[in-house]
Formats: sequence, C-alpha cells, structure tokens
Amino acid sequence: MSGSKKDPFFVGYLSVPEGLKLFLIATVALLLGCFAALALTIGGTQDDPGDGAFRFDWGRQTLIGILEASPYPIVHVTKGTKRIPTGSTVLLSGNGKRGVQSRTTPLDGELVEISGVAIKRGNIEMLQLRGGRNGIKKVAGSVQMPSSKLLGRWRLSGEICDGKCFTGTMRPGRRLSHKACANLCLINGAPPIFVSSAPVNGTRFFLLVNSEGEALDNKFFHHVAQFISLEGTVEKRGNLHLLKADLSSLKRVP
Amino acid sequence: MGTVSNVLMFAEWWLYFGAAVAFYFLTVGIERIDENARGAYVFRPLLIPGVLLIWPLVLWRIAVLERNKPEGFGRYRPLRTAHGYVWLVLFFAIPAIFVTAMLLKQTWPADIPAVRLSPAEAVSQ
Amino acid sequence: MSVKYTPVQWNANKYGYDLVLIGMVVLYILSFLNVAPMFLDHARPTDGPIVRARAFGTCAFLLLTIILCIGPLARLDARFLPLLYNRRHFGVLTSVIALSHAMFVMDWYFNFAPQSKLEGLLGANTSYGQVLGFPFEVLGLAGLICLGILAATSHDFWLNFLTPRLWKALHFLIYPAFAAVVGHIALGSLQSQDNSIFAIVVGLSTALVCGLHALAAWKERGCDKRGNADAGWIIVGDAGDIEEGRAKIIKLPNGDRVAVFRHKARLSAIANACAHQNGPLGEGRIVDGCVTCPWHGFQYRVADGRSPAPFTEMVPTYRLKLDQTTVLVDPNANEPGMFVEPTALPEHMQ
Repeated sequence: MSGSKKDPFFVGYLSVPEGLKLFLIATVALLLGCFAALALTIGGTQDDPGDGAFRFDWGRQTLIGILEASPYPIVHVTKGTKRIPTGSTVLLSGNGKRGVQSRTTPLDGELVEISGVAIKRGNIEMLQLRGGRNGIKKVAGSVQMPSSKLLGRWRLSGEICDGKCFTGTMRPGRRLSHKACANLCLINGAPPIFVSSAPVNGTRFFLLVNSEGEALDNKFFHHVAQFISLEGTVEKRGNLHLLKADLSSLKRVP
Repeated sequence: MGTVSNVLMFAEWWLYFGAAVAFYFLTVGIERIDENARGAYVFRPLLIPGVLLIWPLVLWRIAVLERNKPEGFGRYRPLRTAHGYVWLVLFFAIPAIFVTAMLLKQTWPADIPAVRLSPAEAVSQ
Repeated sequence: MSVKYTPVQWNANKYGYDLVLIGMVVLYILSFLNVAPMFLDHARPTDGPIVRARAFGTCAFLLLTIILCIGPLARLDARFLPLLYNRRHFGVLTSVIALSHAMFVMDWYFNFAPQSKLEGLLGANTSYGQVLGFPFEVLGLAGLICLGILAATSHDFWLNFLTPRLWKALHFLIYPAFAAVVGHIALGSLQSQDNSIFAIVVGLSTALVCGLHALAAWKERGCDKRGNADAGWIIVGDAGDIEEGRAKIIKLPNGDRVAVFRHKARLSAIANACAHQNGPLGEGRIVDGCVTCPWHGFQYRVADGRSPAPFTEMVPTYRLKLDQTTVLVDPNANEPGMFVEPTALPEHMQ
C-alpha cells in the first residue's frame, strides 16, 4: 500500500490503498451492472427473423411432377402429399449452398419423382433434394406442362434475396448483414427471390430472372439485400410467380 | 475468384515464412539477442502467434540487435508524432463512417405500392 | 521486466482484475443467450449461431470501447489507474471474444458451400465501390487482424525486443482497428435491424471514446508548460511548487519531457517517459526511495535513473541547478542511468 489515505497511489504489485477500495468496488459494480443491462437491452430487442423454416416436422416429402429445369429448376407437382398438395410449384435445391442444376438439366420437361425435406415461408416452397437419384429421378408417364399467364408489366419495390436462406434455411436470411451469404448461395445456383413490399396477384415473392427469362448474371449480385425498385413482366407459371426484370430499371429506394 | 485465391495464397505463404522465422527465433535467435530469455523456455510458445503475424519486423529487429550498436535516446523517446493521426482517426474517420452509414440506412419500402405499367394478357405456352 | 521471462507475472491484483473481466464476459454472454430471448415474442427464434455471433460480436465491441476509455480516464482521474494496470489481459480477452464472433459467422454464413469458408468470405461479395452493400466483413477481418497483432505482441518480451517506441507505434493500431470495427458494425449489423437500440449503443460508445480522448488531450495541453530558456538552461519553476515525493513535468524545446522530483528536500531530474511503456513517470510518486511509474509500478532511483537490482531498466537523467529558489534544467539529456548528484534545496525550504 502506498500514498496517503486522502491521496492514494496505486502500485500494481502492492495491495490496493484503502482510499481507493471503495472507488474500485463501485467501478466494478458499475461495469458488471452495465454489461448485464446492455446484454438484456441489445439481446432483447432483436428483430423478428420471420417464420421461414425447414419443415423437418413434416417428414420426408416425396412428390411427382413436371420438371422445368431453366431458368431455375422448379417442379409443378402432379401428385402431391398432405403438406404439399397437387398443383403446387416447388423450387429445388441441393444440400447446403448447392444448386441441383447438374441433376435437373438432363431431365428438363420430364415427369420426375423428387424427394427431400421441405422449406417453407409464406406461399413459397422449396424442396432440398436428397443425394443423387434418391433426390430426383425420371418416372414413366407424360403430363402437360401447366399453362403460363402473363400478368403485365410492373414496377415493384423490395429486396433481392436468395431463395434458399430467405425461404427458411436461415433466420434471418436477408438484409445486408446476410448479403455475402446470399451471394454465395446465388453463385452456387440457388434461385433468387424478389421480395416485394406490395403484393401482385396475391403474392409478394417472385422468382427473379432477367428480361429474357434467363438466370441472372453476376451484375445483379451488387444489388442483393438492398432495398430497390425494379421494372419487369410478372408471369405466373403453375403456382409460382416470376419477375422478368430489366436491370437498367433498377433503382435504390431511400 | 482469382484475386481471392491470390490473397489467400499470399496469407498462407506469409504464415509459412512466419513459422520458419518462429522456429529459428524461438530456438536460437532469441538467446543471442535477449539475455533475459536465456534459460527461460515456458514463455516462448506465447511468442509464436506474434512472430507468425509480424515476422518481417522480427527479422529487422534481429538484424539491428545483432549489429549490437547502441540505440541512443530513440529508445527513451515516447512516440508523440502518432497523436496527430490518432486525432484524424478519432475525430474525423470514425464519426464520418458512423454518420454516413446512419444517413444512408434504408427503411423497408412498405409504403411504396406496386405499380402496373402495362395491362395483363393471357398467353398459353 | 528485467528478470527471466515467465508467461505471466501473476499477483493478487492481476487475479482480481482477470476475475472481474471474465465475470463481465460470462454475465454478458449468459444474459444475452439465455435471459434476453425471454423478452422476444417471435414466431420462430433467430438461428442459434446467429444469436451467438451477435452475443460475442456486441460483447467484443463493448469491451473494446472500455479498453479505449481507460487511457483517457486514467489521465483525467488518477483513481482509474488500476484499470490500466492489467489492460493487456483485457485486450487479449477482447481478441478472443472477437475471434469467437468471427468463428460463429464463418461456420454459419460461409459454411455448407463448395468453396472454402475463406474463399466465400472474401469472394462472395465484391461490391467494394458501394457504401451500402460494401463487404463489411473485410472491415471486421481487418479489425480482427489488428487486435490479433496487439494480443500476440502483448508480452513484455515484445516491449523489450521491439523497443517501447516501436511497440507503442504498433499498438496505436488499436485506433484504426476501432474505426474498422465501427465501420464493420455500421455497414453490416446496423443496416440490417429495424430496431435502433444497438445503433444508439454504438453511437454513444464512439462518442464516449472520442469525447474522453478530446477531454484528456485538452487537459494535458493545459498542463503542458514549455520551459523558458535562460542561457541554455530551461526554467522549471519555483522549487517551492514541488511537493515532497512528487514531481513537476516540464517540456523541453525539443519536445521531450523532464520530471523534476523532490525527495528528502533534494531535487533530481529524470526523463518523464518510463522505459517500459513510456508511462508518465512525473505523474508517479516516490515509493521506498524510488520513482514509481503510475502505469505498471516500474521503479527508478531518482539520482541515476536506474531500476533497483535485479532489474536493469534505466532512463536518461538531467542536470539541475538553482538560482535562488528557481529550478533550472540542462536540456541536454545525460546517458540513461548516469548518476547526477541531487540538488539540495536551500535550508529555509527544507
């Protein structure tokens, strides 16, 4: 101990001077109190991450339907289950951040059996396929491709997300802190979803493709996860809505 | 991802060189330049991460110390020239970053409606 | 120190210090992960790895804020000096918490892909030309590397090996690291939450760090008296102004600072910068006959600027003379450790 009681002087390797003890105890109490309070304040005010989720509780879903391999693989279900009824249109993905294009391209337009776990958010559904032929295989039979319907040209405001995370693989799976993850999913073949702030024909979720109806190119990646407005043609294929967007019309909203 | 693989390869080699320097320094070099380290072994593994990260600086200091020249008063002179740049970071860079980011922050365009630009037409494929 | 190096030179105060640190972190993380979710009424919970990344990330930021406040606080009020004593353990713990945050992020956002996690981290988002959508992860990575360098070079060996001057220069990296971390948070997390509580916390934290630094600098500028020259000698002031066992600090024309101590009614002058971490010796006291640094308690004999055996640190000394009661110092420093006979005060002042 050193220094007078009125004017204490702390030396690390000596015992704490009497005059400082109360001050230090108060400081420690304040620090501990602040940390607990901040943890509760910051942790207790996190945003709602949405209700998208892996539906493991539905069990494995095995469906039959027509495969449309491009621009992104989707299946129009002709023989569904209690959870995913006939007439649904589901997006497809592989395990993790992997697309299934290598498996679906040769089967374009065929009747296929798909099997895996469902991911669902609102009216958008995805099936994460099992590996190899367990996940997707051609089955005998032929069915007509469902009709497509053009719903006109629209200007929509919202956000480009990756269909895998947004639909429920990650909560939250959107906004700028998730941008790199979304880009990584898109680079590896996940379908991009445009989440509109206002509904068109009853839906706010659109499979996003370019104005030619093809898969997006890398230029779109710079705008993922920001709030933007886009112009494009809305088309309903089966039970899924597409937005064929012009990149030149893309604007950041305030 | 060409740039990325180059950056990662650079980082990998940086650490390989660092490991080589650490091996030399912690077995032989350290005893030559710091007498307090002679016979003290337990603390040496603690130095490995530091050498891995800043090995060029380590090599430079070894070279200086091996020459065994007196270092003059530089050693005893506190670094005050750095204060200017600390001011720049604290009072310009940090507020600028924070304020810019907060001003640009977007809000979900909930009040912007979907605008129809042309009428629908039914087309069958 | 100048005895054989050991991993950590423990003492009771360091144990206490570390106990409080670990207590803060454990309290924070447990409250964040286990208690705070009770206040949320979400249909489905946020992913566990994301909540853990948030808990450790925000904890690291708050710890960094406190670390940066300790320096100026101790300058403003000496009672905060005990917080500075073991600040390096504070820094090491903060780096570990920040690294945990990074690991949670890497194992979640950049996992499950054909690319390696690092490739994903650096290659997925390349919008370097944008403010919104900027790959804020690299700012976090830069901050983490800086914190890693500081933690890895915190052992006293590095101080001695790199010299205090270079070591200090390296450890000024804490400021760009803080800027990078503020950018990392402001362009990432804060852009992605509607609730503005954390934005307010970050704003107040940065304001606190910047404000305290400004206050401390202003205070130091106020006391920083440059001595007037008198035929090559610099006037320190009246000998009666120096209290027994304490010092008066004066700035020389070349910018160096000298601490003039009064010990047993005799005056001695040594350089103000401690040979350990350049702590302000002149703000210390004379304890057991030695000048004791207020930062880490390094000691020097007043007359020759040498640490008592077995330690070998030394600082430059200066010559003094008295003109009546006015103290004057020769601005030319002596070799570190050179003995200078203390100047006795006139009898009426003793």
